[in-house]
Amino acid sequence: MLKRSAITLIILVCSFSVPCRAGTPERIISLAPNMTEMLFALGLGDRVVGVTSFCDYPPEARKKPKVGGMSNPSLEAVVSLKPDIVVMTTDGNSKEFEERLSSLHIKTYVSRARRIRDLARGIRALGAALGVKGRADRLAADYEARIKRIEALKPAGPKKKVLFIVWPDPLIAAGPGTVIDDAIKIAGGENLAERSIAEYPKYSLEAILRDPPDMIVIGPDMREEEGGAIRKLARGLLSRLRTLPAVRNGKVFYVSDDLYRLGPRTVRGIEELRKVMEH
Amino acid sequence: MKAGIFFIILVFAAVIAASLLLGPSVINPFALDGTTKVILFSIRAPRVVVAVLMGAALGASGAILQGILRNPLADPYILGISSGASLAAASGIVLGLSVFGTFTIPVLAFIGAIVTGGIVGILGWRRGGLWPERLLLAGVGLSFLFSALLMLLLSLSTTEGLRRATLWIFGDLSMSDWSIMPYGLLFVAGGMAVSLWRAKALNALILGDELTHSLGFSPHRERFLLFVAVGLMTAASVALGGMIGFIGLLVPHIARFFLGSDNRLLVPASAVLGGALLCVADLIGRSLIPPMELPAGIITAIIGAPYFLYLLRKKNVLSF
Repeated sequence: MLKRSAITLIILVCSFSVPCRAGTPERIISLAPNMTEMLFALGLGDRVVGVTSFCDYPPEARKKPKVGGMSNPSLEAVVSLKPDIVVMTTDGNSKEFEERLSSLHIKTYVSRARRIRDLARGIRALGAALGVKGRADRLAADYEARIKRIEALKPAGPKKKVLFIVWPDPLIAAGPGTVIDDAIKIAGGENLAERSIAEYPKYSLEAILRDPPDMIVIGPDMREEEGGAIRKLARGLLSRLRTLPAVRNGKVFYVSDDLYRLGPRTVRGIEELRKVMEH
Repeated sequence: MKAGIFFIILVFAAVIAASLLLGPSVINPFALDGTTKVILFSIRAPRVVVAVLMGAALGASGAILQGILRNPLADPYILGISSGASLAAASGIVLGLSVFGTFTIPVLAFIGAIVTGGIVGILGWRRGGLWPERLLLAGVGLSFLFSALLMLLLSLSTTEGLRRATLWIFGDLSMSDWSIMPYGLLFVAGGMAVSLWRAKALNALILGDELTHSLGFSPHRERFLLFVAVGLMTAASVALGGMIGFIGLLVPHIARFFLGSDNRLLVPASAVLGGALLCVADLIGRSLIPPMELPAGIITAIIGAPYFLYLLRKKNVLSF
């Protein structure tokens, strides 16, 4: 609770301190992959001067100078890039790093958006802080409209129980409180793993056989150069689950990593999931 | 002593039965339907067998190493074998190798373990034989080197490989499958057979090389045979399910509290206790907060360490 109010306070302080400055920051560093994606979506890609080694989307982001990982970026690398603002998130970056930056008089913007319901608000706030309010409002309105459209198209019949596997070996499922959990619900399904304690639980094979899902969704099936690595990796798992009706009836689907980050691709991810659920 | 052995066997049988029938749901073996059959035979049974094989290999290896190195702090991981295995497996994962099909990672881990064991053996070799202090120091040195290389590899890797490698290193029994079992069984049983065959010589080795000689054993030959046995068992255990701490170090001491330090008894007892402990830990790990599973390695230490400390406090003699 204390931590949350501290974070809220920091965000308040940041959101007051940033937009007061006139104009758009010229040099932006992003310390999280989803924030990098948002910056590019807001048309600020050219102003991004530094990213983490995990920032791999859009492809241009890979060419930006790296400042280290998400949890352990290099303070020296960040400082030497002379940023006007460092964009961070409460979901992966450390508070200590943010405090270090503040003590060096480097401006920060900390996003606390974690769930799909925060997405539109989050991008509006980011756009306001970075002086691209108009563009952010348009993006946010687009996300909201598309999410509404999906919600309006609830599939007919009883709710489908979906098991979303974020990693097949060992089996890691998407549990409650995750973007994927939100997406399943928006798409009109029921998350089989929602009763788990952890957000990304190592999930019991037995539990799946006892409480079988109507369909299995496996990610992240994306990079062509990896040659369907996930499909290969999932083979063992699916052969262990071969007696499941979902596996026998071909209700196993592979999806991209669009839902793995809360960012501009999230809504596309919900649309992909919704399409898969029509089968 | 007889009662002690009988008690251990009884406990072991009970543990196996419990591991098979208990879990997130209780299975009645006399009323199996389709689903419970699959759960029992293709999910629980392979897990139990892997847990027994790994626990037995680690427990016996620990007892043997504490003997040949004459050091109560020795365990199968001190020789760097697990670090070598982890490094090889993680490299395979991060580089996305698939040379041996679905067996790629276990095979790489096994190769890494054997190669590391070989290097430690070569470094520990002087004047026609293996020397305990040299083995120990070579193992510790290599262990640091390989762990550092592993950390380096993980810090440099940014892809999904990182996550997968980390999960592998933590040790996982949940994906245990029958297909790899024959190989694991082969190496663990082979190592175990050599250990039991040379257990009497191990008793002599603990007394020192001179006494070993006068008792009619060649210290160098015995150490070499036992070292190979430990290498095979540890390598197989890492390949089967990653790294599980605690068992190799403390299970032999727990066995010593009850049975004394005759290795003809201690080695098999450590194997049985190690297997039973890992089974129980895995049972708890998968039953505590279903449908989520907790790694068996964590549970092993959480239940094992307090028990060990209790015994340490209660029993006066730390016989070795």
